[in-house]
Amino acid sequence: MEKQLQTILDEATVRLSELRSRPEFEQYKAALAGPNGSFTAVTKSIATLPKEERPLAGKLINGYKVQLEQLFQSTLQRLEQEELQRQVGPAVDVTLPFPGMGPGSVHLITQVREEICSILRKIGFTVADGPEVETEYYCFDALNTPQDHPARDLQDTYYLNPLASFGNVSRKADERYLLRTHTSSVQIRTMLEQQPPVRIIAPGRCFRRDTADATHSANFHQIEALYVDRNVTVKDLKADLDYLFRSLLGADAVTRFRPHYFSYTEPSFEVDFKSKHLGKVGSEWMEIMGCGMVDPAVFEEVGYDPNVWSGYAFGLGIERIAMTLYGVDDIRYLYQNDLRLHRQFI
Amino acid sequence: MIAALPGAILPGDFAIKESKLRGVDSQGMLCSERELGLGEDQGGIAILAERPAPGTPVNEVFSGSDVVFDIEVTPNRPDCLSHLGIARELAAYFRRPLSYPQVVANESSGPGGHLIRSVRSETEENCPHYRGYSIRGVTIGESPSWLKERLASIGLRPINNVVDATNFVLHELGQPLHAFDAKKIAGGEIIVRMARANEKITTLDEKERALDASIMVIADADKPLVIAGVMGSVDAEVDQTTQDVFLESAYFRSTSIRKTSRRLGLSTDSSYRFERGVDPKGAEFAALRCVDLILEIAGGEFMGHPLTAGEAPFTEKEIELTPTYVRERLGFDISDPDIIAALEALELDVTRLESDDNLTIRVGIPSFRLDLYRPIDLVEEVLRIYGSDRIPQGTVRCTGLVTEDNPITRFNRRVNTLLVGKGFNEVMHYSLRSEDELRDWFGHAQADNLALTNPLASDASHLRASLIPGLLDCLALNQARQNEPRALFETGRVFREENGKVYEMVSIAFVLLQDAPSGWLRRESADFYTVAQIASELLAQAGVGADPSKFTPLIAENAWQEGHSARFGGFKMGFEAKFGLLNPAMTKRWDVRGMVLAGAVYLTPTFLQREPKRRGYKSFSSFPAALRDLALVLPENISAGQVRQEVEKAAIQAANKQFAVEAVEIFDVYRGKGLPDGHKSIAFSIAFRSSERTLQDKEVAAAFDATCKSLTASGKYSLRA
Repeated sequence: MEKQLQTILDEATVRLSELRSRPEFEQYKAALAGPNGSFTAVTKSIATLPKEERPLAGKLINGYKVQLEQLFQSTLQRLEQEELQRQVGPAVDVTLPFPGMGPGSVHLITQVREEICSILRKIGFTVADGPEVETEYYCFDALNTPQDHPARDLQDTYYLNPLASFGNVSRKADERYLLRTHTSSVQIRTMLEQQPPVRIIAPGRCFRRDTADATHSANFHQIEALYVDRNVTVKDLKADLDYLFRSLLGADAVTRFRPHYFSYTEPSFEVDFKSKHLGKVGSEWMEIMGCGMVDPAVFEEVGYDPNVWSGYAFGLGIERIAMTLYGVDDIRYLYQNDLRLHRQFI
Repeated sequence: MIAALPGAILPGDFAIKESKLRGVDSQGMLCSERELGLGEDQGGIAILAERPAPGTPVNEVFSGSDVVFDIEVTPNRPDCLSHLGIARELAAYFRRPLSYPQVVANESSGPGGHLIRSVRSETEENCPHYRGYSIRGVTIGESPSWLKERLASIGLRPINNVVDATNFVLHELGQPLHAFDAKKIAGGEIIVRMARANEKITTLDEKERALDASIMVIADADKPLVIAGVMGSVDAEVDQTTQDVFLESAYFRSTSIRKTSRRLGLSTDSSYRFERGVDPKGAEFAALRCVDLILEIAGGEFMGHPLTAGEAPFTEKEIELTPTYVRERLGFDISDPDIIAALEALELDVTRLESDDNLTIRVGIPSFRLDLYRPIDLVEEVLRIYGSDRIPQGTVRCTGLVTEDNPITRFNRRVNTLLVGKGFNEVMHYSLRSEDELRDWFGHAQADNLALTNPLASDASHLRASLIPGLLDCLALNQARQNEPRALFETGRVFREENGKVYEMVSIAFVLLQDAPSGWLRRESADFYTVAQIASELLAQAGVGADPSKFTPLIAENAWQEGHSARFGGFKMGFEAKFGLLNPAMTKRWDVRGMVLAGAVYLTPTFLQREPKRRGYKSFSSFPAALRDLALVLPENISAGQVRQEVEKAAIQAANKQFAVEAVEIFDVYRGKGLPDGHKSIAFSIAFRSSERTLQDKEVAAAFDATCKSLTASGKYSLRA
């Protein structure tokens, strides 16, 4: 009997190690230990033994049974292990490049716009919006632009088909529709809608009838800021712009105000900046924006009392800032969209 | 000889560069007098008679060289369009005395009498004031070299002594003048009037110009002699034979001159100054200054006593101002004496009006300062002269305002983040596109209404109606440059016509090449459902839940491939999305390789402004769902969306409010063997669930059977065996 059991065990050791799947295993297990299995048959044969031999035989069989079960157990473990391994698959070469889509990218103009919005948001400015198609009233008249100012010329400003009427761009009267030349028009729409205090920025697309070259583009983006409150002063304007430029261009950025003229601000300034951070570009004074104190005529136009309220406004070109910050030397690259540019600023 | 080395710029913006001349490297140019603007001799290379040592800088040889400043004068300061005006500013800024030219001529001196009979203005609103001076017996000739050099230094060509004198005074004082040859004034009278229809004039640039009633002229008894304030004609010009000169000094209204200048497309030093506004009281002083010059350089006799028409308009103003107001506007301390000193430095007439401890000053504004009429204007003057570099450092003063960024901005940020997260590259294109493209995509009505009145180029003549053409440009460019573009998007405004009106819309569009550029590992291709899902996610950012069973196929839209594209929403609802495969015939025109999937979402700005709704919580059941599968056979022309809705409806009816139909999901679509021709099979999984109990098999089976019966009863559907 022992010999029989030993043979079964030896054979099982070999066979089990050759098994590759769970069903094979179950089948083989049944063939040994199932109701009609060969091992079961041997255990059953104990009944045919004389009574006195039975305890010994029982002991013997139990010993083999334990061994066999250990064998089953380890085989099952091995098979489960192998199954998992099959599901996991072969090892990958971790040094291969990503086969899927590359990372997305945000356009430089958007990046700079968002950076400026976020800097100004910290000092209470929130974004206001207005239409790109504007009317002469909001773009010029209400901003105190003289009737025969050259900016209104067909030479400089795009006008829309006079027969077209716009469903969602409101007009003051029957003035002409045009493509806004600055986002200052948003100032007017905002002030006509709400009472002071006002602290808004209006980022957006503007249009001038310029031939495209390295610094001019048929459309460009501007951020206009307007702050109206009691006792807003020139000093506040300078302080807030110093804060903006230090945040944007580095702690060593310095600004300079040069008196200038805009019809909707008085006094008006052009702002120059210098910043060591920017290397060669930042070593000389560079003009970056226009600003000033809101002209009382503008307040009167929107129904604010200029004796109670004062304010400042400034407008800066996003492309200009982006080009300065990142050293892009041609504005057209920003609209050409060669992905080799965009992918540098992921 | 004089050599211009690479980097030098000669008159006429002629830049010297290293180049090859007849195969030989050229490292500069030896110049003629003409090329250097030293004289008219262009015969050959200029020879320096003094023979300076080779290598001497040219500025040491020509020690009389000048410095020319280019000054940008803002439109509000026409008084600075002259040397005197700039000198006045400098004198104020540097607190130095300003010396005016000394004028000797005197209107009441001279023998009296006139070279012509009379002067009159028939258009006082355009020419309120006109003065004419007579000088007889002048000798016309070349101007002395000091005068010629000065004119040349500011880019003017010397003509003759009398004309040069008028030009000199124009630039010195900012008052344009005109000298007539008195004998050429027919009828002995000068009339300022509007031109008549059909009148013509040949201006000094030798162009014949047609005049009309909007153009003011200076005429004699017969014909117009000068386009007033703009340019003279060949008919009355001072020439070698001139002996008697009639000198005009007038005040013309800026609007009239501006209109004329624009109408004729003719801008001159004279019109430029009149357009912006000359000193209404400056005519007399400038004329006398010019008389002095003419007598000095051309001889002759000043007859005095000018002929005049009208009077210089009264333009002096007075502004009352308190130093407190100045300090309030500036936000920093500046003393009363500093304020007064700054204003006085600008030749403003300051009077102190003491009133206890609240000082008020009255500021008299001279006639040439057309830009000063309000207290705020004087605040600017004070700051300019005090020094804008002296604005003290301040700190940000900021009080909280309870507003949020505009919803459009926030929407754009969300969709930007979403698409960039999916690997899309954001791009930006111009808003102006060509008419042809617009017609191709959207037809005629759109094209007419989106046209610009004054486009600069034919490829940028219309407002864009879609962002997709720009994205195709970008795919094509980047494919051509081997940049392997795959997925691009843009946000921006587009314009569309609805019922005869144009609407500005917020839009976001994306393109996705169907197949990825070949790499070491092949991935699944994108398809309609990829972009339909992206479009739905974009709509979700605008608070719109897109239900695919309500998508409708796009039919007969030039841009989109029929059978592979769909829309959701519509203009009236405030939102619309189109997505799917772009028409390959269209994309081929862009030279884009491969099939292009795309999506575009359009929103009216007002739709985004609507109040956001907060969603309420719905409780969910803690009991298990009972799932039943159902496969229906149906004709191809019935959409999955339609049949799904019907299955859902039938199941809800069958459940009879005893329990809920939680979901009806499509898990398989089959075509082919075992189905009748033109049919497909769609398999649904229906989830029944109660919020109160575990459902019994029996009641679920009953509901499922009832669902099947009601669906097959119509005969449209049969159960798949």
